[in-house]
Amino acid sequence: MINTWYIIAQILGLITIAFEFSSYQIKDKTKYFLVTGIGSLFWMAMFVAIGISTGMDTQMSLIIAAVYSTVRNLVFYVIFKKNTPQSKEIGLNFLLVMIVIAIVAGTVTVLNAPEQVRWLHILGLVVALGFVVGQYLPGVHYVRVAVVFYAVVVLLTQTPINILYGDFRWNIMGILIESAKIISVIVFYVRYSTQPKTPQLVFAKP
Amino acid sequence: MYQIISDGGCDFTKEEARKYNIEVVPFYITFEDDGHLKEGVDITKEDYFKRLLEEKGVFPKTAQPSPQDYIDVMKPHLESGKDLVVITISSKLSGSYNSATLAAGILSDDYPNSVIKVIDTLSASVGQGLILREILKMQKANFNLQKTVSYAEKILKTTRVYFTLDTVEYLKRGGRIGPTTAFVGGILGLRPILQLEDGQVSQLDSVRGKKNALKMIQEGIVAALQEEKKNVNLSIGHILSEDDAVNFKANTELSLGMEIDNPITEVGAAIGTHAGPGALAFAYCKKYEMIGDAA
Repeated sequence: MINTWYIIAQILGLITIAFEFSSYQIKDKTKYFLVTGIGSLFWMAMFVAIGISTGMDTQMSLIIAAVYSTVRNLVFYVIFKKNTPQSKEIGLNFLLVMIVIAIVAGTVTVLNAPEQVRWLHILGLVVALGFVVGQYLPGVHYVRVAVVFYAVVVLLTQTPINILYGDFRWNIMGILIESAKIISVIVFYVRYSTQPKTPQLVFAKP
Repeated sequence: MYQIISDGGCDFTKEEARKYNIEVVPFYITFEDDGHLKEGVDITKEDYFKRLLEEKGVFPKTAQPSPQDYIDVMKPHLESGKDLVVITISSKLSGSYNSATLAAGILSDDYPNSVIKVIDTLSASVGQGLILREILKMQKANFNLQKTVSYAEKILKTTRVYFTLDTVEYLKRGGRIGPTTAFVGGILGLRPILQLEDGQVSQLDSVRGKKNALKMIQEGIVAALQEEKKNVNLSIGHILSEDDAVNFKANTELSLGMEIDNPITEVGAAIGTHAGPGALAFAYCKKYEMIGDAA
């Protein structure tokens, strides 16, 4: 159903793509979390707009996932920005609680899923957790490798494999967003390989 | 003629202190049941760290030398007519500077003809040791006390100190990081890289795995020092990790294309209690010859 909110949702999706693509070009962790966090906000807004357009009941689980993602990214941003033992402790405690909730919710989803597609949901849960760990790990590589796995699994849910689940939606914008992440990582590594190697740790001059 | 005195934060061995005629005022270490032990006198660094390694859940306390400890060391030299240069660990890490300043204040009334200069290095361990080594060189070059102190105060501003830890366990035991941060860091195998900045310890970064950490540190050192490697003095320290320190020194020398003259030191309790066994430390500062009056 194409109406104003549906069009707004597509625009929000395009903005999400711009932010998500940009975030994986950034080496600095703090800036990465800020940009991807803003991207998540637009992503969340996109689902809300689709919900208004087509009915909230179909979008609620996606909105919750997007809220989770946004909060996580912004908490990580604050942790890395402040970089104090106190902020890190508070932020990590908050994130661990969120991860536990996500694991419980994910496990319930897996248990309720038809047996044929249960593997897809287990895979989804594993890569989602792997992505969170990858985001926290230091350096530029872990998060990029993790997001590729994550995006591939999310893309799998947009394929006919998911028909078995009876919930197959040909979500063009979802495919574009996840593809943008993968393409961004490829572009990053092409750029990375051509740039002069700079040390990851920058020590002060005497 | 001046006598050099340092607190135990300089990480000089007894032999070095004797060789260079330095008075070292040790820190105190307190285990729950053993009372106050003087570091390097009642307990060696090695024994201390082995005990720290073996006794899980134990977190000994370190305490600064008291003003009386400083007075006991300073007085004989003042009586023999010497001036004193006293260097201490960062005042933001320990009360040693306060103790030394108090002692100097008390003694300056009794010995009005002697000069006592107390320098807060805003550093520790290998960093403080480097500043001390530059002061020794200036003493050998017959710098007078005023000039030595003036140069030392400029050198300490060029001093950088970094540590990489084997584990976050001791930071947790000392309350410097929370249990969740330690738990997550432990599971993910993160090695924090700490720096002494403006006299305080802060985390610069963290790296997964020892090999990665050492490789990245070497790259960072080369990037920071390549252009002026001839102007700097470097030092490396460790806690129960001598082999790693020797390899690290050799690789750093190779990467920089220069020799590191200073001996590898054992990091003492003041910093080591929080860093824990397996830690490696390194520091660099400008040589006194590069400071000049205009610096």
